[in-house]
Amino acid sequence: MKKSLLILLLPLLFISCSEDFTVLGPISERNVVNYYKTQSDFEVAINGAFDALQSSGTFGVNYVLFMEMRADNTANGGGATGLAATLEQLDKFEEIATASELNRTWIASYDGIARANTIISRIDGIDFTSDDVKNRVKGEALFIRSLLYYHLAVIFGNVPLITEEVTAPQNMNLNQSAASAVYAQIATDLAAAEGLLPSTGRVSSGAAAALLGRVHLQAGDKASAVAPLKRVVNSNTYALEANYSDIWGPSNEGSSEILFQVEYMSGNVGEGSSYTDMFTASGVAGGVGGGSAPQSVTDDFIASYEVGDLRQAATLSDSATVEKYEDSPSSPFDSDVNWVEIRYAEVLLNLAEAVGEGAEGYGYINQVRARAGLAAIDGTTPGTYDEKLLQERRVELAFENKRWPDLLRFGIAKSVMASHLGIGEGAVNLLFPIPQSQIDVAPDQMTQNSEH
Amino acid sequence: MNKQNARPWSLAGVLALAFVLAIQTGSTRANAQMITSATSNLNYQYYSVQDYSDAIPELQTIITLQRQQVRMGDVLKEIADKSNLGIAYNADLAILNKRINVNVKKATTSYALQTILLGSGYEAAISRNREIILIAQAELDQADQEPEIAEVSGRVTDAETGEPIPAVNVVVLGTMIGTSTDANGEYSLNVPDDAEVLRFSFLGYKTLEVAVDGRSEVNVSLEADLLALDDIVVVGYGTQQRQEVTGAITSVRSEEIQNIPVSSFENALQGRMAGVNVAESTGEPGASPQITIRGTGSISAGNSPLYVIDGVPITTNRNLQSDIGSQRGSFQPPSANPLATINPKDIESIEVLKDASAAAIYGSRGSNGVILITTKQGTAGRTSVNFSSYVGVSSAFNTPEMMNAADLIAYTKDARNNNYLQEIEVGNRPANPDYNPDTNAGRPNVANFLIPEQYVNWDGTDTDWLDLVLSPAAMQNYDLSISGGNQTSTYSFSTGYLDQEGIIEGSAFQRYTLRLGLTHKLNDALRIGANMNSALAQHDRLPANAPYFGQPPGIIYSALVESSVVKPYNEDGTINQRNNTSFLGGGMTTTSNPLAIMKYISEDIQNTRIFGNLYTEYDIMDNLSFKSLLGYNLESIQQSFYRGTEFLYRNQSSPQPFAQTGAGNLFNWIWENTVNYNTTIGTDHKVNLVAGYTAQKERIERSKIEANGFTDDQITTINGGIVNSGEEVIEEWSLVSALARLNYVFQDKYLLTATVRSDRSSRFGANNQTGVFPSVSLGWRANEESFLSGVDEINELKFRASYGVTGNFEIPNYGAIGLLSGANYVSGGSQLNGVAPSTSSNADLTWETSYQTNFGVDYALLNDRVYGSIDYYTTTTQDLLLFVTVPAASGFDVALTNIGEVENSGFEFSVTSRNMVGAFNWATDFNFATNENTVTKLGPEGDPILSSGAAGTRHITRIGDAIGSYYGYVVEGIYQSQAEIDAAPVDKLVGPGGARPGDFRFKDVDGDGEITSADRTVIGSYHPDYTFGLTNRFEYKNFDFNIFIQGVMGREVLNLTARHLKNGEANFGSYAVLNDRWISESNPGNGEHPRADRSSASHGNNNRESSYQVEDGSYVKIKNLSFGYTLPDTFLNGAFSRARIYTAMTNVAIFTDYIGFNPEVNLQANSSLTPGEDYGAYPLSRTIQVGIDLAF
Repeated sequence: MKKSLLILLLPLLFISCSEDFTVLGPISERNVVNYYKTQSDFEVAINGAFDALQSSGTFGVNYVLFMEMRADNTANGGGATGLAATLEQLDKFEEIATASELNRTWIASYDGIARANTIISRIDGIDFTSDDVKNRVKGEALFIRSLLYYHLAVIFGNVPLITEEVTAPQNMNLNQSAASAVYAQIATDLAAAEGLLPSTGRVSSGAAAALLGRVHLQAGDKASAVAPLKRVVNSNTYALEANYSDIWGPSNEGSSEILFQVEYMSGNVGEGSSYTDMFTASGVAGGVGGGSAPQSVTDDFIASYEVGDLRQAATLSDSATVEKYEDSPSSPFDSDVNWVEIRYAEVLLNLAEAVGEGAEGYGYINQVRARAGLAAIDGTTPGTYDEKLLQERRVELAFENKRWPDLLRFGIAKSVMASHLGIGEGAVNLLFPIPQSQIDVAPDQMTQNSEH
Repeated sequence: MNKQNARPWSLAGVLALAFVLAIQTGSTRANAQMITSATSNLNYQYYSVQDYSDAIPELQTIITLQRQQVRMGDVLKEIADKSNLGIAYNADLAILNKRINVNVKKATTSYALQTILLGSGYEAAISRNREIILIAQAELDQADQEPEIAEVSGRVTDAETGEPIPAVNVVVLGTMIGTSTDANGEYSLNVPDDAEVLRFSFLGYKTLEVAVDGRSEVNVSLEADLLALDDIVVVGYGTQQRQEVTGAITSVRSEEIQNIPVSSFENALQGRMAGVNVAESTGEPGASPQITIRGTGSISAGNSPLYVIDGVPITTNRNLQSDIGSQRGSFQPPSANPLATINPKDIESIEVLKDASAAAIYGSRGSNGVILITTKQGTAGRTSVNFSSYVGVSSAFNTPEMMNAADLIAYTKDARNNNYLQEIEVGNRPANPDYNPDTNAGRPNVANFLIPEQYVNWDGTDTDWLDLVLSPAAMQNYDLSISGGNQTSTYSFSTGYLDQEGIIEGSAFQRYTLRLGLTHKLNDALRIGANMNSALAQHDRLPANAPYFGQPPGIIYSALVESSVVKPYNEDGTINQRNNTSFLGGGMTTTSNPLAIMKYISEDIQNTRIFGNLYTEYDIMDNLSFKSLLGYNLESIQQSFYRGTEFLYRNQSSPQPFAQTGAGNLFNWIWENTVNYNTTIGTDHKVNLVAGYTAQKERIERSKIEANGFTDDQITTINGGIVNSGEEVIEEWSLVSALARLNYVFQDKYLLTATVRSDRSSRFGANNQTGVFPSVSLGWRANEESFLSGVDEINELKFRASYGVTGNFEIPNYGAIGLLSGANYVSGGSQLNGVAPSTSSNADLTWETSYQTNFGVDYALLNDRVYGSIDYYTTTTQDLLLFVTVPAASGFDVALTNIGEVENSGFEFSVTSRNMVGAFNWATDFNFATNENTVTKLGPEGDPILSSGAAGTRHITRIGDAIGSYYGYVVEGIYQSQAEIDAAPVDKLVGPGGARPGDFRFKDVDGDGEITSADRTVIGSYHPDYTFGLTNRFEYKNFDFNIFIQGVMGREVLNLTARHLKNGEANFGSYAVLNDRWISESNPGNGEHPRADRSSASHGNNNRESSYQVEDGSYVKIKNLSFGYTLPDTFLNGAFSRARIYTAMTNVAIFTDYIGFNPEVNLQANSSLTPGEDYGAYPLSRTIQVGIDLAF
């Protein structure tokens, strides 16, 4: 009997000693429970945040649709069916809130923001062996978050402002904020990032300052834009490339003009870019959006070049297709071409905008014009300062996702697009609709933009 | 001595009767422990040989012993030896030295002992340690010890038919004197004149005891005992008397499933049990059928029942198998069945726990029902050897009728003409006077207007592709089992071999099994046992199941699509890959030659499984026992896939050779400790209590490596190419549980069962790790009430009611934990390793919970001639696991969440009826079940879930409809004239050309006068309304005949092959039904099929997702016919104890309106949201077999 009681007790001991028996974590998959613990974890995680910039929902494809195709430089091919027909709707302000591109961009942008938020929320309590690395990682995360919020604010306007890691998505507070509040948060973040980031690197302190300047401008605060932009110029780290055509293409990724670029590589490892297919004539045909169809260049844009502008030949081919993203990818959407998001010419033009009309402003513009082989302009040149600046921006920054925010910022989006498309100004929407599915999932917290 | 006295003698009783012989060592084979315990401890019981001759198997050992003048002691030793008994005695006892003559020839030990001790003054008895001991007949009068012998004879007949029953056992109760009846049911027996009672027994009849009362003729009639075979029901953690069961439990006898030519026992269960729906979605040898018990209760956590084999819950883990890397997810081949490693011949019984009362003892794993499998064990006594074998031939079954070449040419021309003419009519093309409906003269050079040259100038080729692809296949099966044992140990050994070729040459399934079951009694109170099963299942697979554009393409669909105008082989005998439908011109759909797929692509899966258990049982007290069981399940899978260098995909000119190897390992252990307490309080109360705790853990490992760049086919493993990708997945889960069950019976009338189980599992989120699953059920055996006691027609009438809670714990192993996945970036032209969160954490994640109510009746009427059950149940499954859309601002667009609710309710009826009993026996089994599946809650807002299966969004899961219902437009008919079109709602979805007479009229479901996407609605579902099975068994003399019919009603199939093979576009092969298409107003066909039009998509759009592609999948199938003959004893000449030869046919005939091969087809069998799609599947086959069963 005693023995049998012992046998009975054995499993009791086993069970009671093993509260941990049912605590099992993933073995072959990294997970939030045991990751984000070491310097090395964060160094890998920040690469994952950069990865979000490559996504087709962000710079990969869709930012092009919303920031460039939306404006008057390019047009969708027309007569399209299927997915391409949806793009045409977006091009012509006929978009509907259920368009999948909108939702994809929303999801992909916030995916990147969440990757950055996770790093930002967790990094402070972690001991790094190198404070420089810790500062860099945190600065990069703030920069990535700012860059994505800038795009969300331009595209959608009122968006949820999430700055912490979300652990219970079902019960989150969405905190939908006006674009101005978003820009204010970006300004705070970029100021911090500038102090954390190194002077060189994939994101330098200069890149943070340049983006800060751009965001201040977009927020309508020219005065605040001056200082950060001047810090970039005065750092003497960046310079205009001698030849405009040398800025793009796989061989020019180290150009001193480039402050920030989203990097890609070919080789069928899922890191290729789609710009060659979207813009150029030598894209690989076959995929939706392949070839030059979705991004044909408008006649109006071609006509906007001054005679002798060296940029025209570097920007457009003889058959008036886009040359900037020329490459020879062996399979669709697998080009080696990087996305140049911030370059020194933009900094100069932004500074010209920030300081306003005057010798200083014309000076910055003329630096850019000089490289293009064009004569200097000044106050005597016909047209208003804004008109001259905008024209310079249009040709200098063509097909670089700057045109639509420029039209918005200069307050002429409605008039320009109405005449471009032959529609009434009332039909031109300044903001894209917030994706219907994002409103549906939290109807009490989300409000659609008034235009839609 | 009468029956009431026949009970173990207590020590006191023994003392009162006789003095116990002092015992001294001197035994023969009794082991030392027994002797020690016998000498040191008198506190045990004795069994008189006379009373217990038939209760103690050793006493029935047949021995022969012929000796002259030998010592009584030596004789006893020898008898003990031969009977596997021990012996204990006092060596000084005079009787032992008495010299006697013994002449026992082929008699039982019992008889021998009684014979040699007759008149000695001693009686033999058996101790609890299985020792022969002698007891003095002190109180017996010597004069009575030599009883007179009298003869008794008589006849035994069937109580109902009056027919004589041969081979009935007739025994004088309390002795081993007995005989059996002859062919006329007659017997004759010499009995002692004091014999009081004769006992008549025969399998299948109720045992009858009759007082002799000095008669010399005793005629009796026996009543059939139909319930005898399944009196004991296996329930979770124990067994129960069937009459005391209060839950809904269905059993199937092993004989019913053993000679069915299938690779796994589940296939044989189809149609056998009400509420257990088995769907054979593919005929691929060794592939899994789908079993759902009482409907689909889960959307994303699986609907497979829990399998428990000999007490060990077995994981049927399909995650061990890797997907084919080149194939898209929805076209993946059906999983090789993990349960095909079990030999159906090793199964003794299968019990299905259907309601929550029965299944709640399995707690968080009981929601989908539990299938308990009990394997065969040896029994003490005679060694039994069984051998069985069958061979068979399989051939294609229910092959669809395809157009022949002449019809296909006419149809294709019709489609291209109609396309061209409509384009002219709407002004897109100018008319051309040279137009000729039979040639390409005058047509513009537009692919979809042109008739392929081989159609214009047909060379007479008319290839039957299905006939080329499907060919007869052989099957053979061999099983050998040996079992037996004695009172201390039993064993059961079996081995089997199955070799099944598929009807697509090159596909096959082979299984090798080996099984050992052992039990041993260490002493009175302690027993141990072990079961070990090992199996190797080898699957030779071909890509039969995908559409023709899969990677690899499906053989069947490619054969259906390939034009009959195309020659299968080139003139040099090689497979025609460069001049087939892909190269006909005219924009014909490109397709691979199915013969090339068969020849150049293959997959081998080797699945080994070793599983079993070790257990020990200890009797702590008379009524209290403890059992500890250690179970294990080891499984490994090795997969090799190869696509050769000669295979051309559709119209590609260069091959894409590819190889993949996959390996999977599973290790699962369980430790269960239970106590079982039985007691009877007074005469009214019976109590059984089971309680225990268990711990189980599983680890799986799966890896996959892919290679391409093969230059030749010499080496078809990944070594032959360039390895380009790989992955390894390791996962674990664990479960700790406590369980208890109380069975209480009051006055044999009122029954109560209450169970509770508590489960804590690693799969559940930290906030919800433990769940409690209670159930209670009540039973009332009305037939035991006095008001029914006089009603002879009612033998059993039991009312049951149960309510209980069960769970479904098949949620992802790490669903509660946020996972990270690779998110690489680039720096300066090289890749940087990066990670990012891919799933969100959910600490609240938990099991799905089902609440089930069941009402049932068990009945047996007319002397058990008719018996069965009726059940009604409703199940509400809550906390349904769904990927719910969450605000993407969180960084995640969906999150796995417990939200949603589905209801299943149904009615089940089963009856067995012995229609004719006697020389001609006819029995009928019938079962019938309904189930209605309704979604009642979904997600936070109740939004419907639209799901894409293999061809776009065609399924909807929404409140008020069944899970995964088909979704699309309703075809109301065919426009017969332009006037009808003009009067119809405006179709906003048709192309610029618009609809023409002969196109479909789509229904304006929302009544807004327009056909828009809002007019899509539910157009059918895969869930059947009801299912039934009907078996008729006939026996006459030595012949037996069996016919089994099974049916499924109210099920629809989403026939995606209709998108190509009956769509009117005529760009490939076609179902022959399109010969009855609408051709003109004067020739409108049968009104079901639209006109031919190559560009339907831009015209009337007949091919949009609609009810035209949803077909009635109801069917009635003659599933099995068998005819057997049991060889007569004379023929056998004693070589076998039984020999039966038989022939059988499986899948004899099917009656269905479904146009394709198999109305149970289900492309993504494990996806609840997208069931019932047919996109080309391995067809079922008809098998004709002959077999033999031998017992030695």
